[in-house]
Amino acid sequence: MSTFLEVQQLGVRIGATAILNEVSLRFAEGEVTALLGHNGSGKSTLLKVLARQMPPSSGCVSLKGRNLGATGAREFARTVGYLPQHPPATDGLTVRELVALGRYPWRGPLGRYGKEDFRLIEQAVSETDLTGFSDRSVDTLSGGERQRAWIAMLLAQQTRCLLLDEPISALDVRHQIETLRLIHRLAAERELTVIMVLHDVDLASRFCDRLVALRGGELIADGTPAEIMTRETLQKIYTIPMGVMERAPGQWISYVH
Amino acid sequence: MSANGFLPYSRRLPVVAVLLWSLALAGAVLPWLDQLNLSGLLQAFWSVNTDDYQQVVLRYSWAPRFAMAILIGFGLGLAGAVLQQVLGNPLASPTTLGVEAGAQFSIGVATLYAPALLAFSPDLTAVAGGLMAAGLVVALTRKLGFSPVTVILAGLVISFFLGALNAALMLLHGDYLSNLFIWGAGSLVQNDWSQFQDLWPRVVIIGIALVMLMKPLQLLQLGSESARSLGINVGVLRLAALLLVVLMTASVVSRVGVVAFIGLAAPVLARLLGARTLGQKLLWSTLLGGGLLLLADTFAQWATVWAEGTLVPTGTATALIGGPVILLALRGMRNNRHMPGESAGPAHFLPRRRPLKNTLLAAAAALLMIVILALGWSPGLEAWHWTPPWEWPQVWDWRGPRLLAAIAAGVALGLAGTIVQRLTGNVMASPEVLGISGGAALVMVVLILLGINPGRTVQLLAGAIGGAAVLGFLLLLSRQHRFAGHQLLLGGVAIYVFMDAGLRLVMAGGGTEAIRLLSWMSGSTWLVSGPEALALAGVTAVLAALAAMGRRALVLLPLGEGSATALGLSVAKARLLLLLLAAFLTAAATVIIGPLSFVGLMAPHLARVLGQQTVGRQLVMAAVVGAVLLALADYLARVLIFPNQLPAGLLAALIGGGYFLWGLSRHGKH
Repeated sequence: MSTFLEVQQLGVRIGATAILNEVSLRFAEGEVTALLGHNGSGKSTLLKVLARQMPPSSGCVSLKGRNLGATGAREFARTVGYLPQHPPATDGLTVRELVALGRYPWRGPLGRYGKEDFRLIEQAVSETDLTGFSDRSVDTLSGGERQRAWIAMLLAQQTRCLLLDEPISALDVRHQIETLRLIHRLAAERELTVIMVLHDVDLASRFCDRLVALRGGELIADGTPAEIMTRETLQKIYTIPMGVMERAPGQWISYVH
Repeated sequence: MSANGFLPYSRRLPVVAVLLWSLALAGAVLPWLDQLNLSGLLQAFWSVNTDDYQQVVLRYSWAPRFAMAILIGFGLGLAGAVLQQVLGNPLASPTTLGVEAGAQFSIGVATLYAPALLAFSPDLTAVAGGLMAAGLVVALTRKLGFSPVTVILAGLVISFFLGALNAALMLLHGDYLSNLFIWGAGSLVQNDWSQFQDLWPRVVIIGIALVMLMKPLQLLQLGSESARSLGINVGVLRLAALLLVVLMTASVVSRVGVVAFIGLAAPVLARLLGARTLGQKLLWSTLLGGGLLLLADTFAQWATVWAEGTLVPTGTATALIGGPVILLALRGMRNNRHMPGESAGPAHFLPRRRPLKNTLLAAAAALLMIVILALGWSPGLEAWHWTPPWEWPQVWDWRGPRLLAAIAAGVALGLAGTIVQRLTGNVMASPEVLGISGGAALVMVVLILLGINPGRTVQLLAGAIGGAAVLGFLLLLSRQHRFAGHQLLLGGVAIYVFMDAGLRLVMAGGGTEAIRLLSWMSGSTWLVSGPEALALAGVTAVLAALAAMGRRALVLLPLGEGSATALGLSVAKARLLLLLLAAFLTAAATVIIGPLSFVGLMAPHLARVLGQQTVGRQLVMAAVVGAVLLALADYLARVLIFPNQLPAGLLAALIGGGYFLWGLSRHGKH
């Protein structure tokens, strides 16, 4: 698999505080990666740097071998989609209108929407099971439905890569599973590169190909779920005594002593 | 404020108070010291040698004015501090609750229509007006749990509203104009000691009563439930304190006019400098109030000297500090309990949608009807008269340009309002409330006063720059200090207050210019000539086309910087361009209709009420609705009190101000 995103010696500091320190990582095309770590470990910051929401203080980030800053705003938005941790209120937009915004990077401020655009919008709506809601106001949806609407917008954006900041943090268990299944399935179907910040290490191990852990702005673990889901590694990541057991192949359960 | 400054926290208050007082005293005394020594000055307070002209001036003009400034400053400082405690609101003050404007308004009305009442008791009239305004604020914001920012927003808009009414009265009775102007702007000029003799017992008695309420007021800090469980009748206490504050303010206003913002600045300053307990707040607020007003009055006197005899009223000098003080206070209350706008998300609001075509057709039909009415149906000297369409070319010169200009201004304000509301993500925002129109107007007024008589093009450009500067400054502030919801509006209102004070200062000193400025400021469409109206319509059309091109950016921006960037919008550039566009549109309208018409608030809001929820449709609809509103206002202004005329902008402001207050009381109700 070819390298999609790469960071080298990445450092981010706010004032005198280092948020990220000498982080180097490669993300292969088509790989689903979870970023783990406790609060303040720098994982959201890393995601923001990858999404160009925040400039790095040092080091370099490249997208398919090109410097990340070199691409234009809309061209970048056609390649990389980003879902912030708290999507804002949408002021009366319907689901379909929100999803249609995903076509903006392709059509710009004045371009006309063609048949292809409407097909992609419909497809995104149906792939996220929102067909029945498409004329409802986004603000009236439940948390899970709202999250799906935003993901549908990212799908209509037709990017090669999704960067998701805690996409399931506000959801109940059922919606968490549904959302992750959806992301997993879409990633497989469209060969998307997905990088997401997750707090639930068990779910991450189940739905991701790779787990990357940060602590205090430094990379401390990186590997397949099988490599990461061990007692020693988890204790290193979360700095509390933990245990882990494999209930079935590929399904780990971690617990705190 | 952090405690790591060069002064220890506990000593800041006394040091600042001493500094303030010595500055004020020095300013007041200095002009006399080259002629008299200090003891001579002091003597003026109790004795006089009537042979010496200078001593007479000192005894009957300087000394009473000096004493009056300190007395009123004490009174208003104390009243402001008590009011803040009663409402649990760090922005409350007699000015921001509309008490002063209410008192002023009722005295204005009484002067014109019931002078006997005024002769009987000016205090009573002023108190009634003050109570009316404060009562209105309380009634409007009751449902929103008196959240601090909303209360002040309502109070300030009521002040503007009453101010607009006042302006209308003045225009109708031009003969009283200059006196009302100067008095309205708060003049401390004294001719003898009688006013002081009259006022001081009241201030002292009300002051003592307020201080006696201190213990129970202290308990209010615990919240009304705890206070009640400690045996306090919260309602009665609040009412009593409020009544005393209104009495104090009204007594001041009925004698010297509106001395704005001392009652806000003093407690805010005391709090920021570290007054913690209620006792400290009351003490220091009182002391600082006296010092502040003495200083402001000294400035006003000096400015009057510099302006070579043109009177600079003290009230305007204090009003100039109002805007900055509100902004300062807003900074300090970021983490307050209930911030409206944050909690009042439109969570269960299911917007109604209607097809654009039908609504648009209906609105266009309404516009057409108004146009036909305006051109054809008008009052004559004896009876109403219908002009048939083939005679319209003959009446075009009188009725056409102003109508066209009003329509263009309406379209421009509708578009500008929609852009501003989307840009700030706030449905109560508008070019008027955010001070864009104020900025535009100020620049234009300054141009006129500099003796430059600019054409409309220069006015438009200059106005747009002024408006853009204000809006840009506000957006910058709001980003730095994370203003949420109504805080942004309040920031805008603060800027407007500042402008308003400047404008009044200019008008009070402007002599013959004053009435021209006033009629222009209140939006007199009859000043427009044919070519000007056509040019403005052309400019508006071009700007409208630009607005249509920006509509996708307007959809994306409210999603937040993160999402908008992620969708490939260069946020900073888009914001800047839209900001400039809104400023240009506002300036184009302000040239015609004056700065405070509220059409930029009403039109976008009505467009949504009429079921046009998406940005593109809202833009179209708001433009048409704006045109309808102002065309109607223009027509009514022409025929309502025929053969006299009202300014159309003023008429629109009266309706629009009411609409804003109604919207405020509704918005955020669950």
